[in-house]
Amino acid sequence: MGEVDYARIFDVLPSPFMVVDKELRYIAANRAYLETTGRSFDEIAGQKVFELFPNPGESGDRLRASIDKVMATGQPDTLAYLAYPISRSSGGEVENRYWTAVHVPVLDADGSVKYVMQNTVDVTEFARIRAAATVPFTSLSAETRLIERTREVEAANADFRRLFQQAPAFFAILSGPTHVFTFASDSYLRLVGGRRLLGCSVGEAMPEVRDQGFIELLDRVFVEGYVHQAEGARLMLVRDEGKAPEETFLDFSYHPIRDPSGEITGVFVQGTDRTESVRAARRQRLLIDELNHRVNNTLATVQSIAAQTLRSTADTIKAREAFQARIQALSKAHSMLSDRSWHDTEIGRLVCQELSAYEGAQVRYAGPELVVNSKCTIALALLLHELATNAAKHGALSVPDGVVAVSWREDPEKNLVLEWSENGGPAVSAPSRRGFGSRLLDTVVTGELGGQLDVRYEPTGIFARLVIPPAAYIAQELALG
Amino acid sequence: MAKFAGSRIFVVEDETLVLFNLEDILTDLGCEVAGQAMRLDKAVELAKTVGEVDAAILDVNIGGTTVFPAAQILAERGVPLLFATGYGRDGLPDEWQGHAVIVKPYSPQDVERALGPLLDKQ
Repeated sequence: MGEVDYARIFDVLPSPFMVVDKELRYIAANRAYLETTGRSFDEIAGQKVFELFPNPGESGDRLRASIDKVMATGQPDTLAYLAYPISRSSGGEVENRYWTAVHVPVLDADGSVKYVMQNTVDVTEFARIRAAATVPFTSLSAETRLIERTREVEAANADFRRLFQQAPAFFAILSGPTHVFTFASDSYLRLVGGRRLLGCSVGEAMPEVRDQGFIELLDRVFVEGYVHQAEGARLMLVRDEGKAPEETFLDFSYHPIRDPSGEITGVFVQGTDRTESVRAARRQRLLIDELNHRVNNTLATVQSIAAQTLRSTADTIKAREAFQARIQALSKAHSMLSDRSWHDTEIGRLVCQELSAYEGAQVRYAGPELVVNSKCTIALALLLHELATNAAKHGALSVPDGVVAVSWREDPEKNLVLEWSENGGPAVSAPSRRGFGSRLLDTVVTGELGGQLDVRYEPTGIFARLVIPPAAYIAQELALG
Repeated sequence: MAKFAGSRIFVVEDETLVLFNLEDILTDLGCEVAGQAMRLDKAVELAKTVGEVDAAILDVNIGGTTVFPAAQILAERGVPLLFATGYGRDGLPDEWQGHAVIVKPYSPQDVERALGPLLDKQ
């Protein structure tokens, strides 16, 4: 057995190899290298690499840095992916090619770096596959060999993976016909309450989705290559382990993942959790409906006030004044309700507000702090206004010495008892014709509020007692889901 | 314009002023308000006990609840129903969509137009 001819082996290695010294001058190059570069060894021997193949761009810098690193450290270095245009012959057309380059130190007897050997692999075809790929993960299988042999791709892949891992949208990769999780992003895990997914099929990991049509969809994607996209899809999903499924809304898509031969190997899942925005939109819809309802009801009330005022008051000027005063009373009550999100008002403030137009000395109030709901607020505001207007026209407030006393309390049955008592005014008697004010008082108290009304025309002035049952005035939570 | 002279109308409306207005509109149209309720309990009771009526005008939202329990009784009695609501037709659940609706605030003409076909069916 003769001696092994290393030089010959070097020359016939199928991938391109070359060796440079510390000044980056060509020391050796094999046949594959010369074929790739379209030069003869005589043309390049002793020439500097970057003078022969100048590349002032990023790729040139990376190549130079890699060789320098090997020179300095004595450790091999790999460039996984390098765009490097070369001319296929001297003076020939320059062509964009992509390369993976491995630099290996060649040590002298002392162990210091004497030469650097470079092995390049033309990966232009891979690069084209990569450029054509739309779903990022589909390109991985085509590049598997590269990934395996290069640390840089591993690092890049780790970055890539981290990007998906931490993205705000959720991602998952399901493999095989039973849709086994092989990747799930952090946000996907959060979506499903941190359950164990990797290595489990969708049906195993999330039993609650089995009967909701998603597995059938995944089957279609896997078998037919169908792409499924959904917006605001509703599902019942366990969001916290051990708890009941919750209504969840998702925008999501399922894409088939294909290997280089076109065979479907899995399903790429991506999407965003829209539950909060769907809830917010629903709540907003509800609030708009409620607002619309209230505005329409208020307009109906205003319309009625106008119609009633015009019917009961023949004089146009008086009718206009009465209408404005009634609208004013309604408006004050609305402002008070608005201050408390239309929930309730404190009755003392309501009485005070509606009687604020009259002399302080002529109006007295007494009663505990009591809240009444919005419906009762509006009803009482209109009543107090009618009572006060009547007092100013015919009763205690029509003379300087007259006094109106308003008191309220809660009786043992929790009824709200409100008393209106006039003193010092002209003598009054029951009107012969029932006017708007008394019709309103009667209908509001006994009809609308379901309470009792006692009105007496005493020689000293009008006395009215309103007894309002708790169901009609106690504030209830606004029913917003 | 006693257009619907002698027609007997049952009314449910929880706001006094709106009720006054509706009563006046109905009176002007020649109708008789055969019964009126402002709260659900009274509306349900009257829906059962009120005599023959030609139509019912029902406010959908009454005092934080809905008029439908009373509407159900009236519908079973074969009384034509006209719903009044500040939400418009969208505020009416599917099962009541077949009935007439007027949107608050309504004019006398709205009431007349909506009530006419219900009384013609009699």
